[in-house]
Amino acid sequence: MKYAYYPGCSASGTSKEAEESLQATMRYLGVELTELEDWNCCGAAMATGVSYLLSVALPARNLALAERAESDLVTGCSRCYLNLIRAVHYTQHNASVREKVNTLLAETGVQYSGKARLRHLLDVIVNDVGLDVVAERVTRPLDGLRIVPYYGCCQGMWTYAQFDSVEDPHCFDQLLATLGAQVVDYPLKTACCGGTLSMSKRSVGAKLIGDLLAAAGDADCIVTACPLCMFNLNSFQKEAGGTRGTHFNIPVLFLTQIMGLAFGLPEKALGLQRNAVPVDSLYRKIAVGAAVSSGEASASGPR
Amino acid sequence: MGAQPNTLERAWTPRTLEHTPSSTDLVGNDFSLCYQCGLCTGSCRTAYAMKYTPRQVMNLLQLGRTDEAVASGSGLLCTACYSCTFRCPRGVAVTDLMAAIQRLSLAQRHADPHIRRFYQAFMRTVERHGRFHEVEFLVRYYAPNPLRLREQVSVGLTLLRKGKITLKPPKMQSQKAIAAMFRKAAQIEGRP
Repeated sequence: MKYAYYPGCSASGTSKEAEESLQATMRYLGVELTELEDWNCCGAAMATGVSYLLSVALPARNLALAERAESDLVTGCSRCYLNLIRAVHYTQHNASVREKVNTLLAETGVQYSGKARLRHLLDVIVNDVGLDVVAERVTRPLDGLRIVPYYGCCQGMWTYAQFDSVEDPHCFDQLLATLGAQVVDYPLKTACCGGTLSMSKRSVGAKLIGDLLAAAGDADCIVTACPLCMFNLNSFQKEAGGTRGTHFNIPVLFLTQIMGLAFGLPEKALGLQRNAVPVDSLYRKIAVGAAVSSGEASASGPR
Repeated sequence: MGAQPNTLERAWTPRTLEHTPSSTDLVGNDFSLCYQCGLCTGSCRTAYAMKYTPRQVMNLLQLGRTDEAVASGSGLLCTACYSCTFRCPRGVAVTDLMAAIQRLSLAQRHADPHIRRFYQAFMRTVERHGRFHEVEFLVRYYAPNPLRLREQVSVGLTLLRKGKITLKPPKMQSQKAIAAMFRKAAQIEGRP
């Protein structure tokens, strides 16, 4: 399995642990990722506020680069995915937009015809690698861990339209269950984390994050399918607690970090020391869980 | 579930939104299809903080009261998650219409100055480097009001301590070409 890979700015910077763990787990699963040469920012949620054309052309340039490399393009960031898939559709459905976007792209020496196929990392893991293969590679089952799968909005609305229920996706739940985790039912699994509002309008951003953290209840951790969601849910727990007079301290991991843990990969390779909320509590619980399940039938008793 | 494929197809197909719209450019756009069911507002996590919710913004557009929608700054709270667009049973491109309102707000100085600077600082950083760079962004964002930087101190220190902020800006080969693309877009869209 070979793909062109688009890391995006979030995974290359403030969510470096997402990128590190993604590389480590994909290597472990035999997925070959070649970083898209000379990729640029997709415009995040900011480009639309300045220029409609740039909001399509910035992601379209990356698609054009993938097209030139004759590869499918994979990204692990849901915000980037949303912008990229939007560019695919907007150029495909509107000749005038396509023409103007290509006029802009000509400034960078590329053109986009709509050939490159876009994939989300979760899509690749579930559908190309396959859950059966993932199950085979688990060496340290996450027994005893109660995990919230947080798909995020950019995921729920677009990715799964291809292969999962859009309003109530389950592929992430299935992946976590394959790793041995106890998946927590989470009604806000496709609710938006507020994106950059945590920085630009803290009072609103913190409230949105607070709602998500509170809905996780007493789960052991939240796992996200987007580096930007992970940054938000990790970095603003104090502020989020402040909006509802409570105190949050729940580890938030990227999906390949939790996969890497179940694969028994070294913590450092998964960037686990970089998570804003320390994840040490998980190590203890995995160890306890493993001890319990290797014991007798009492493991399946009430807890 | 969600929208029927044909309505989603509609929402995916931008019509008259290519240019930075003026109030008059918006007239005749597909907000006329909106029958005010409110599914957009129900799907919106930031509607609670908006003066006019997405449904009310669509209504203001229908009534020709675009300027009120723009002045309210409601578009600036849109996170562009596209939940409203995806769910709209009428195939209205609600998110792109909110973005158009957002652009008008930012262009007409009705905007919250901090949010306005946030957009500008972000896009200027991308224009210069082709990619985002946290440090340069923060400098640009807080330059006029450095005391506000304290609201980012706790996040910033954690990021530094965990080795997630680099002082050196990212380097890509096509930096200059990206900047040229920004200039070309401004030219086509008639922006200064």
